[in-house]
Amino acid sequence: MLVFSFVGYETKVVHVENLTFLEVVLEPNLEIEEVTVTKKDRGTYLSAMETIHTERIGGAELHKAACCNLAESFETNPSVDVSYSDAVTGAKQIRLLGLDGIYSQLQVENLPDLRGLATTFGLNYIPGPWMESIQVSKGASSVVSGYESIAGQINAEIKKPDSGEKLFLNAYVNEHQKWEFNGNTNLKVYKDMLSTALLVHASGLSNRIDDNGDGFLDDPLTKQFQISNRWKFTNYKGFMTQAGVNILAEDRLGGQVGFEDGMTPTVSNPYGISIKTNRVIGFLKSGIVSKDQRTALAILTNFTGHKTNSFYGLTDYDASESRFYGSIILTRDLDENAIHSLNTGVSFIHDKIDESLYGINLDRVENVPGVFAEYTFKPIENMTLMAGIRADSHNLFGTFITPRMHFRYKLNGHVTFRANAGKGYRTANVITENNYLLASYRQLAWQDKNMFEEAWNYGLSVVQDYTLWGRDLQINTEFFRTDFQSQLIVDRESSSTHVILSPLSGKSYANSMQFDVRYQPVERLDLLLAYRINDTKQTIAGVLKEMPLTSRYKGLINLNYSTNLKKWMFDYTAQFNGGGRIPRPDFDGWQSSVTNSDNLYEFQPYTVMNAQVTKYFRYWSIYLGAENITDFTQPNPIEGAENPFGQSFDATNIWGPVVGRKIYLGVRFQLNYK
Amino acid sequence: MKELAVIFVFFFGITVISFAQKAENKVVCFKSDMDCANCEKTLTENLKFEKGVKDLKVDHITNTIYVEYKDGKNSDEGFVRAIEKSGYKAEKITPDQYKKILEQAAEEGHLHGSEVHKIRK
Repeated sequence: MLVFSFVGYETKVVHVENLTFLEVVLEPNLEIEEVTVTKKDRGTYLSAMETIHTERIGGAELHKAACCNLAESFETNPSVDVSYSDAVTGAKQIRLLGLDGIYSQLQVENLPDLRGLATTFGLNYIPGPWMESIQVSKGASSVVSGYESIAGQINAEIKKPDSGEKLFLNAYVNEHQKWEFNGNTNLKVYKDMLSTALLVHASGLSNRIDDNGDGFLDDPLTKQFQISNRWKFTNYKGFMTQAGVNILAEDRLGGQVGFEDGMTPTVSNPYGISIKTNRVIGFLKSGIVSKDQRTALAILTNFTGHKTNSFYGLTDYDASESRFYGSIILTRDLDENAIHSLNTGVSFIHDKIDESLYGINLDRVENVPGVFAEYTFKPIENMTLMAGIRADSHNLFGTFITPRMHFRYKLNGHVTFRANAGKGYRTANVITENNYLLASYRQLAWQDKNMFEEAWNYGLSVVQDYTLWGRDLQINTEFFRTDFQSQLIVDRESSSTHVILSPLSGKSYANSMQFDVRYQPVERLDLLLAYRINDTKQTIAGVLKEMPLTSRYKGLINLNYSTNLKKWMFDYTAQFNGGGRIPRPDFDGWQSSVTNSDNLYEFQPYTVMNAQVTKYFRYWSIYLGAENITDFTQPNPIEGAENPFGQSFDATNIWGPVVGRKIYLGVRFQLNYK
Repeated sequence: MKELAVIFVFFFGITVISFAQKAENKVVCFKSDMDCANCEKTLTENLKFEKGVKDLKVDHITNTIYVEYKDGKNSDEGFVRAIEKSGYKAEKITPDQYKKILEQAAEEGHLHGSEVHKIRK
């Protein structure tokens, strides 16, 4: 008697009577009708599978802080720095690899967004509770996404209509009486195939706060309203389409405490800043996958209409933009095992910007058709080589080629090595992305109204994953370098009457080296330690100098503790920001006009701390937190505040927090589909 | 110094919360009829916010539920009702029986058959 058995098959007993060859066929006994893949939301993690070095920020991470909008979602993140652009408009900017946010391609659901006129305030346009996750990838990204993304790419995924969330409500208020309300609802329109989502956001601050007593509002008065409706259809047979529209209206009023809406901007009235924005975005994306799953075709499009009317003191700035982006992508696995695969396609960008500053009209129309191809070679699970190239024909800057390469290799199951090199380009929006500099006595002076920036980016990273005392330990070491061939240089130090916007003449580079460790030293206590050195230099007026207002290093500690069953969550973050350079003209006369600062050309290291406690209930959660616990603020953020129409007025030399400690309270309500 | 004070307060808070959980508790165990990881998740989310719950282990592989709760805040019958309300069976077993099932599963190396998710009303 012989017994044949194997995992997943019926055991078969064969009685052997003659010595001859036997053929035994085993019948499978394991029939899996449904496989459920469950995922654990790990907050932020570095994927070992992706070819491009990417940090994935999940929903759990977004609960660690107030995360009222995209800008505030990076408070617990070691890679992205967030700071105020100036002391009066409330605009926030990010930095990745030590470079301004304009060098990172911002996307919403893999479609380009928050660019052009949205550059300055765009990070406030994505409400935190709308977001499902964020991906931060460093270095020039895939050519499929376009020729931008010099330093990296930040993509925000919005909650999907077919997610399990039936109703989500969020209300927030802080001690300055800034309030926010968010409401999302999903509805299944036809079976599980067609669903729709409605997302609403309203926020405002009408309380005039001047804690530092300089006569200026610490935070501008704001009103923002947003509504978004999106649809998703899937036939579960390989076809999916999504479409949606988003409407935004925002008013900002900053400046001296006594300035009121409707006041005429004159020297006899208090100094005021008013920025009124209206914005609409529509998107459509569709994808179809062939039956053999080897070919896929995707169409991605979006349209943006943006209008801004503003004044900064006596300076008017009005602008409007209409933009269309379209891309068709064909993905094909060249063999059955997907060892070789190809992404090819075409794209088209139309961007029309009309601006008016100092009575000068600055109009620009960009039309950029492009073609691209990206080849991926994956001979084994642990190795990927991705090489891409694209050619774009720009109506203003001619035809240019964008080559990019990414390599990933995972050694012995623990160490993931990545290397990348690639070129990136972008149109510098000379006025738009520097309009916060209008909060100064000095006027903007530009050489060319149209400028094209060009840079190479190279990066190396090693991610190590181990199990130490039964818990996951992740160690990341990375180095990135960006070398600019052409760049728009903002020179704030050659003239006491003008900020000069001119093309780079000489070297400009950014080196960024980061080291971070993630571990759980005690059960349910997650620890993140990170340290980054920024070495960013550019040639300003013929001299290679440190990039101004950029910290030379950043250290970060993040501790997150959840009680058993996660009924309570505690989060604490400390950011240690290194000192840096303050850009000022260095000739006689100017120095004496700006006062009360110990060191005119240098700011000292400073620390910012945030903490939050969250209590979860069955459908509710309440969170109480404090930002900037130690109440550290930059001394004298507005120079010449006592005479805002005088020659020493400047609210743009901002390197640290301009608002002190803020205690906030929020509540979330969530009801899911069963 | 200010920074150190903040760190101290954070850890002190965590310690207080940790010790607060160690009060006198009662244990009740059940055998259930879960099918898959989704059932486990549903039951975990539903039970953890029942009154008095201090610890909870729901396992769809061994089909067991372990609940530790603060005596006087809830009752064994309360959990039977909560499990049944979620659409699952709640057959009460002793903590010893629960322990034995887990030990047996550990010996068998968590081998289990098919996972078929049924629609529950």
